[in-house]
Amino acid sequence: MNILEIKNVTKKFGDFIAVDNMSLTVAEGEIFGFLGANGAGKSTTINMISGLLRPNAGEIKILGKDIGKHSHFAKRNIGIVPQDIAIYEDLTAYENVKFFAGLYGLRGSQLHERVEEALQFVGLSDKQKSYPKNFSGGMKRRLNIACAIAHRPKLIIMDEPTVGIDPQSRNYILASVKKLNEMGCTIIYTSHYMEEVEEICTRIAIIDHGKIIAEGTKEQLEAIITNTKDVWIGVKSMDNMDINKLKAISGVKAVQCEENMVKISSDIGVNNLNRIIQCLMNDGVEIRSLEEKSPNLETVFLTLTGRNLRD
Amino acid sequence: MRDLVWLIRHTLKRTFSNKRNILLYFGTPLIGIIISLLVYGGSTAKDLHVGMVNHDPHYITNDTIRFIKSIEHISVTNVKESEIDDKITSGKLDCVVIFHSGFSQSVQEGRPSHIQIVSIRGTEITGFIKSYLYHYIDNIAALGQIAKGDEHTFLEMYKRYQQAPFNMSVHSLQDTSKHKYMTYQTIGYLLMIMLLSAGNLAEIIIKEKENRTYFRLLSTPINAKQYVLSNVIVNMIVMTGQIIITLIMMDTVFHIKTNIPFWQMTTILMLFALVAIGVALMTVAFASSSASSGAMQNLLTVPTCMLAGCFWPVDIMPAFAQKMADFLPQRWALDTLLKLQQGHHFGSLYLNILILFAFALAFFLIAVYKFGRNHSVGNFL
Repeated sequence: MNILEIKNVTKKFGDFIAVDNMSLTVAEGEIFGFLGANGAGKSTTINMISGLLRPNAGEIKILGKDIGKHSHFAKRNIGIVPQDIAIYEDLTAYENVKFFAGLYGLRGSQLHERVEEALQFVGLSDKQKSYPKNFSGGMKRRLNIACAIAHRPKLIIMDEPTVGIDPQSRNYILASVKKLNEMGCTIIYTSHYMEEVEEICTRIAIIDHGKIIAEGTKEQLEAIITNTKDVWIGVKSMDNMDINKLKAISGVKAVQCEENMVKISSDIGVNNLNRIIQCLMNDGVEIRSLEEKSPNLETVFLTLTGRNLRD
Repeated sequence: MRDLVWLIRHTLKRTFSNKRNILLYFGTPLIGIIISLLVYGGSTAKDLHVGMVNHDPHYITNDTIRFIKSIEHISVTNVKESEIDDKITSGKLDCVVIFHSGFSQSVQEGRPSHIQIVSIRGTEITGFIKSYLYHYIDNIAALGQIAKGDEHTFLEMYKRYQQAPFNMSVHSLQDTSKHKYMTYQTIGYLLMIMLLSAGNLAEIIIKEKENRTYFRLLSTPINAKQYVLSNVIVNMIVMTGQIIITLIMMDTVFHIKTNIPFWQMTTILMLFALVAIGVALMTVAFASSSASSGAMQNLLTVPTCMLAGCFWPVDIMPAFAQKMADFLPQRWALDTLLKLQQGHHFGSLYLNILILFAFALAFFLIAVYKFGRNHSVGNFL
């Protein structure tokens, strides 16, 4: 079942079209990466999903219900982890989570249990009576997440949740995202760190100028810009190497030699690495290094949008 | 509804977890009472210090001085003529009565003269002394006229007059005018505090926008209307507290009689509370930051309170300023209270009440219009 359906949604600010006839679906259980440079329309889209903005045209459905008509239902099923830390510095960690969870109708012992659970999940149980003004950047980000998950939303939207924090906190947050997903939450994840998206997202959409220009798994996106993969092999000497034998191997499209490095380009869907190695060894070529290179998400994004993600 | 109550409790808790805010919101209105007490609260029965210079040592003069001494709230000191200027200018004496030689003779002849009162404080002092003294002297002079120069007859009548078989009883009436002024000053100050409090509380909206929690709130089942409504309710709760505390303290602790029924006073002030919230929301709707909101609140509140007569009666201001004051809600609130003090029936002041209500409505509508046009969600996501 689709947890989120966006159909032909358009949002204008005056004459400026921020989101242009966008359609998108996110299935339950996905970690959906949402990539776009600044001004691409990513934030406007997320603002519309979270009910902060109303689209000029089109419809957005959460669990099959239109958010315009069932905003209460939609909001109860969504948790927002904003990019800017949105917590009260003059309330303790516990009070912060309790307040926001209370706005979702939780009360009494159930509220207390959920608050404790959320704080435990983000690793702040021992800091629940502390004030965020005494927290590190990473701890504040974790509290920011706790405030969004205490009401157990089915869909969690995380916008740049790892900005400006230490590697330890970053790893903790990434592990938390995976854990939340394992617990049944669907995640929409945006980040400027492409490797994070590559690591955790099961499906990715790239938005540019208000439109989805590419969508799919990492491999599907990579296949859009190229149908070859390259293997770089470092050798001691090329004296005994027969290039024609290499070219004859199934799937090999080209072989290039530079000093003691051989670059072999093959069809992306063919697994011929063993035969290439066997061929070289049969010829008595001593292999010193081996590296398989395929286009990464950064390259895909750059190729499709013409700009870097951080532009 | 439950979410709204949750939000109201949260705002109240956050506001008053800082103990200074309790003093700020509920202590400052009492400063108005203290200021009015300092300005108007001095005892009207303050003693008058009168100096006596007697150049006419006669029983008529001596009895006249004794009469002055018998008047309540007058303290009499004998002074030398050479000391008069010094004692008057230094404020040690309010006035000096000089009985020149021949005073007794002139009274006995029925044509009082040879008496002089010296003061630098004008009729405020001399009028009070004269009202007692001239009445007494005229009575003695009347005896002299009847005696027609017969010393024996005059003395007989004079003795009987001095030992008159009737007693004079004195009933002092309470001066309620000072309560009127004190009420005016206290309420004027309260109106300013209410405007400032409403501004501070409404500023929470901008501060929450600045720290991004506003947008997180709007992503919960709370919507913008509920959020602003919660702020209005918090404002009303705080201002109701201010009104009740001020009125109770005025009555029970400071014994200032407003001469207005409690419910009428509360109704008018609650109506003004709505106006104050309207002004505050309008300011917040136009402000781009909490700093600019604070500056706008101060720029609006203090000068308009001065112009509307919150600190002094509007009658003492120039005519053009009085006309400008008619465009300010504080003026109409104070005018309503003044009329109620003067005995006007509450129902007869419907026009004042309607005007106050119209002010509140106008400010709310402007705020709603401006809020409605502000779709910015900034950089929440």
